[in-house]
Amino acid sequence: MRGTLQVDPASAVPIWKQIEEGVRRLVAGGALAAGDPVPSVRDLARDLAVNPATVAKAYQQLTEAGLLVVRRGEGTFVQAGPEGQRREREALLAQGAAAYAGLARNLGFARGEAESALERAWTEEKGGKA
Amino acid sequence: MSAIACERLTLGYGRREVVVEAGLEVPAGGFLALLGRNGAGKSTLVRGLLGLLPPIAGSARILGLDPWKDRAALMAKVGVVPETPDVPPAMTLADASAFCGRLRGTWDAAGVLERLDRMGVDARKPFGDLSRGQRTQGALALALGGSPEVLVLDDPTQGLDPVARRAFFREVLGDLAERGTTVLMATHDLEGVETLADRVAVLHEGRVLVQAPLEDLKARFRRLNAPAQADPAAFAPFGPVHLRGNGLGLEGTLAAFDADAWARAGLDPDWARGADLETIFTAMVEGGAE
Repeated sequence: MRGTLQVDPASAVPIWKQIEEGVRRLVAGGALAAGDPVPSVRDLARDLAVNPATVAKAYQQLTEAGLLVVRRGEGTFVQAGPEGQRREREALLAQGAAAYAGLARNLGFARGEAESALERAWTEEKGGKA
Repeated sequence: MSAIACERLTLGYGRREVVVEAGLEVPAGGFLALLGRNGAGKSTLVRGLLGLLPPIAGSARILGLDPWKDRAALMAKVGVVPETPDVPPAMTLADASAFCGRLRGTWDAAGVLERLDRMGVDARKPFGDLSRGQRTQGALALALGGSPEVLVLDDPTQGLDPVARRAFFREVLGDLAERGTTVLMATHDLEGVETLADRVAVLHEGRVLVQAPLEDLKARFRRLNAPAQADPAAFAPFGPVHLRGNGLGLEGTLAAFDADAWARAGLDPDWARGADLETIFTAMVEGGAE
């Protein structure tokens, strides 16, 4: 997880939220699986050059959400199993969809036009890869 | 209890009031960045908080102690990194550490040497022969030698190159994580302090213009980049500062952003992007926001 998480200080999203979302993405993508250890608050704070309280807040949110679990004396671990991973993936997809719908609306496109643009992009992506 | 607090604190030299009715509050374990232009009164406020200057009016408390009256007791619990490190040029850091150890009840001499070693600073070299960055690192190692509950730094990274600055901030960070030290850093280094500070106070012409959690400021401020056809009047409710045309459109800073009101007004979310601390600071000081 170290090295793959990054924060953007200029973003309007609070840094703890960026860390929280970064961990959620790693869980969604399967890079972090149940039982994997995550860096200590201190190590991650040093890596990202952010205040340890900021990392602690992100971890606390993730623990409350059931994605992480603290084992006394051992450290912090990923708790989310396949079910949690599926939920995170769906949440990410919903986020992306909302952003796309917002963009299309802002550009003045109708729903049908947005849907066909998505359809085209989907096929091109597949074709490109094959 | 707040680790650092002052209320209506007025400080100055002779009849000249430099800091007027300053109010600050830093909870234990907090990190306050004290920002302000040159001459805003940052160093004077730091001196007042460290008991080097008597208050003209108002009061200050650090760890519950009055810095002017209880300076000796307080200094056992406070580490200081001054603007210009004050170790005698002929003295080595190892000797300076041993000297501090004799003055103070608790002193981690081994810890100081270990820290210096990690930072790549030669503890056996005369202080005057060290580079500016090494002198600052050395001052930090000495400030942390007494395991302080509060660390006060007066523009420590001034004149340091980016690599030395980064190393310095990492070292401060390590200590924060280990001990939960409360930090007050007067600084011009907005970029360096941006991810570390959880609170920001802006001093302008001797007065505390704003004091708030950094997160609140980030929520309130936005960089505006709108296309030319956008109506400038639409931005009026969002505290526009420095609004100007740039050929492609309209740019500036919004000091009173509200995402819900923005959406209700039908404005494009992409026009208002997150603002970095430098943008926020400039808008506050020049725009007189607040």
